[in-house]
Amino acid sequence: MYPYVAAEEQVPEVRPEHHQSAVVGVLARVGTILATNRKAVAGLLLLLVFVVGAVFAPIIAPYPPDATLFVPTMGPSRAHLLGTTAFGQDIFSQLVWASRQTLMIGLIGGLAATVLAVLVGVTSAYFGGLTDHTLSVVTDVFLVLPALPLMIVIAAYEQGGGFWVLVAVIVITGWSYGARQIRPQAQSLRNRDFLTSARARGESSWYIILYELLPNMTSLILAIFLGAALYAVLAAAGLQFIGLGNPNDLSWGTMLYWAENQEALLTGSPLWVIAPGACIALLGAAVALLNYGVDEIGNPALRATRRKRGRRAGP
Amino acid sequence: MAVAPVLEVRDLTVDYGGESPLVAVDRVSLDVGPGEFLGVVGESACGKSTLMFAIAQLLMPPAEITGGSVRFKGHDLVHMKERQLRHLRWHDYSVVMQSAMNALNPVLTVAEQMRDAMKAHRRVPRKEIEARSTEMLRLVGIDPVHLHSYPHQLSGGMRQRAMIAMALLFTPDLIIMDEPTSALDVVAQRSLMVQIKELQSMLGFAVVFVTHDMSLVARFSDRIAIMYAAQLVEVGATGDVFAAPEHPYTEGLLKAFPSIYGPRRELTGIPGSPPDLRRPPAGCRFRPRCPYARNAEPELARLQEIVSPELLPIGDRLVACHRVQMLERAG
Amino acid sequence: MNGVPLLSAEGLTKHFSVGGMFGRKELHAVDGVDLEIGEREIVALVGESGSGKSTVARLLARLYMPTSGEIRFRGRALVSFRSRRDTLDYRGHVQVVFQDPYSSLNPVYPASHGVFRSLKLHQSGLTRNRRRETVERILGAVGLYPASELIRKFPYELSGGQRQRFGFAQALASRPQLILADEPVSMLDVSIRIGVLNLMSQLREREGVSFLYITHDIASARYVADRMLVMYAAHVVETGPVEAILANPKHPYTQLLLSAVPDPLAPVEVEGGAAAGEPPRVINPAPGCRFRWRCPLATDECAQVTPRLRPIGPGRMVACHVAEPDATDG
Repeated sequence: MYPYVAAEEQVPEVRPEHHQSAVVGVLARVGTILATNRKAVAGLLLLLVFVVGAVFAPIIAPYPPDATLFVPTMGPSRAHLLGTTAFGQDIFSQLVWASRQTLMIGLIGGLAATVLAVLVGVTSAYFGGLTDHTLSVVTDVFLVLPALPLMIVIAAYEQGGGFWVLVAVIVITGWSYGARQIRPQAQSLRNRDFLTSARARGESSWYIILYELLPNMTSLILAIFLGAALYAVLAAAGLQFIGLGNPNDLSWGTMLYWAENQEALLTGSPLWVIAPGACIALLGAAVALLNYGVDEIGNPALRATRRKRGRRAGP
Repeated sequence: MAVAPVLEVRDLTVDYGGESPLVAVDRVSLDVGPGEFLGVVGESACGKSTLMFAIAQLLMPPAEITGGSVRFKGHDLVHMKERQLRHLRWHDYSVVMQSAMNALNPVLTVAEQMRDAMKAHRRVPRKEIEARSTEMLRLVGIDPVHLHSYPHQLSGGMRQRAMIAMALLFTPDLIIMDEPTSALDVVAQRSLMVQIKELQSMLGFAVVFVTHDMSLVARFSDRIAIMYAAQLVEVGATGDVFAAPEHPYTEGLLKAFPSIYGPRRELTGIPGSPPDLRRPPAGCRFRPRCPYARNAEPELARLQEIVSPELLPIGDRLVACHRVQMLERAG
Repeated sequence: MNGVPLLSAEGLTKHFSVGGMFGRKELHAVDGVDLEIGEREIVALVGESGSGKSTVARLLARLYMPTSGEIRFRGRALVSFRSRRDTLDYRGHVQVVFQDPYSSLNPVYPASHGVFRSLKLHQSGLTRNRRRETVERILGAVGLYPASELIRKFPYELSGGQRQRFGFAQALASRPQLILADEPVSMLDVSIRIGVLNLMSQLREREGVSFLYITHDIASARYVADRMLVMYAAHVVETGPVEAILANPKHPYTQLLLSAVPDPLAPVEVEGGAAAGEPPRVINPAPGCRFRWRCPLATDECAQVTPRLRPIGPGRMVACHVAEPDATDG
């Protein structure tokens, strides 16, 4: 009697035809990649800086952001690291507090757009047929809608778009990109036997979509979320800058608006423009860098392999 | 071997580097004589495909040859420069892949692909290109009208035949075939095997035929080589090996094929799995699954635990098994 | 067969629409198939790829809806299983095992996930502990030990043979009467196949499960099955006890198939080459026998009239105009 050879002695894939039995414990894998991929680590650290800044704003910012207590239009000094605004507010404190709304818009807008994208894309791919046709048409329509005019119309209609208006605009204009990306991947997974197996044992369609299909798409969904978050940050900042946001809100975008409004560059407080602008750019860069790491999870071919000598193929 | 072998492989070793390094081919030696049909048999992950790629000098990183030699008609292939290799490739030896759909260019017609292959390896005048292509297709039983067909317009069996026709363009001395029939149904498979044998007797080339299905080569190969866990475990004349297998793995394999002839018997297969090549065990790699290892005397058992058996001659056969070798010395 | 068969199909047909917007054509995947499976029986459905055998399995598993024809489970027509409760019930009785061990388990969960889920769906009254015990017992029944360790393993940590056994475990969890096994060993190594085939026999003996074993490999069909159906181009062309068919195949396609099987024990045959030719894709077919282009015995009638299954011996049927019953029967 020989017992079945224990699992440690099995031979997992050396054969090239079979795909990698993929993501196990997505978080563990994510962790490994993020730890070893330099771009992702850089992005993560940068993002952390901003997040910590936003969370600990009360501690980090030396002054209340709105307090018009100081001498206006001062240059940087020990008391005011980035100088003061035309209204006598400390730029640095504003910057730190403003990060909250910007990050929140990015997070919530990105999340909402992603949820909608995934819902539409997966439903379309899973059910096929008429559902697929209809949802695809809808996706295409939204894809083609001119975003900027739409944003302007919506924001202007609301007379000074507050937080939720901005989020709504972002979701309406941004969800279709993600949906378009999700659909083909969902379609390719759709015919995998483990989904048919779930049907065969009696699972409902919704269970299959949520618990069997979606967990296999986490890296793509993550990538879409990062893209949507980036879009949210930039779109919100843009809208606020041109004055369609609520000027009384405090965010990097509104800072830019007021700075422009007060002609900061001409009147000698360039930092009022540069600081929030640079932060937006850096936040965007952080998200983009993180995206590289996520790409690698989904596509191992991007991982740099140590090139070894070998013969090239070809008859 | 009385006549000089067309292919001589000695102690060939192939390493896969990268994230989880392993030795996919471990000191494999074999000879192929002119016009001989050698079947290389083994299950998945035993290294047989890697062995073929290594012999044909088609390995891609992270795989590389880290030891041993491959001599083709006396030339050392491993250390040859790419230019010299190109000269030999297709003209003196060629390769037929497992899946024609993967190897054939879907946007070129058959004629165009044959022309490309010919031009890549020799200066061939245009008239001769056409004549050869036509002749080769006829030879494999495809109507030459299909010269102008695209691969997707041909059936699976025809595509494989087209691959073989391409491999024959310069009537090489050796053709290496990697599971060329696995995508075909049983009837087309049989047809193709018969065709290959006929061509062989007509044109005199040697064939190295890799497969996981022993019974497929039973009727067609002159000699058969069995691979297990990156090593050769038995090599011998096909009929002899089937009639009286020496190595316990060969024995187990033969007993794992149900037959449609003869009485219905209960079979057992070979329980367990091949070892993980990333951490190959010391000693004999088949030991955990070997029915004879349980009852081995202490001396033999010790040997099996520590030393990987060498492929040694036992009569006309080559066998890598301590027990068999011990019995041979005693008897 | 005594009494009502476990599962029966009559005139089972499935067509798929192919082709673009214009000129839609009908692909006949399954045409007019009749079959019966009894209790504790292993029936083999043999055919090459494209013959329709996998589609038959999916129709019987209610994964596709038939274009026409009827399927009955213990005499009750499947169309009458309307409610969600009924469908779940049916799935409890008739289960499926799939071909590809590398894609039949969800890679993000442990391999035992499907077994647990199946128990949740079909034996919902179990407590957590009892469920875990039951899963371990089922793993033991399919030859996976040590069960307590393997229950935690992810698919990528398992071999092909082990994954297939998990597939059987999931199928067993609902205590089915019938398992439709769609080429369960084709993608496994040769030395592992026998173990899984033996498992099917054991499950029939110990758990009383019937099997419909779908395969292109006649030798394994002989090894494990009592009765056999041979399919060609969407039709069933021959049925009967396995040994009887092998000893004396009546349909020319069965004869061709048997002569082409690679087998070291086969008598040395004269190989005439060429019944070359391949099974057709059946699109908008004309009437007549679909094997006639490859059949050495084809007559005019074969080109005009589609042969139907008719009795040709004890328990045997064949769909062929030229096949003759044995003269010695009587």
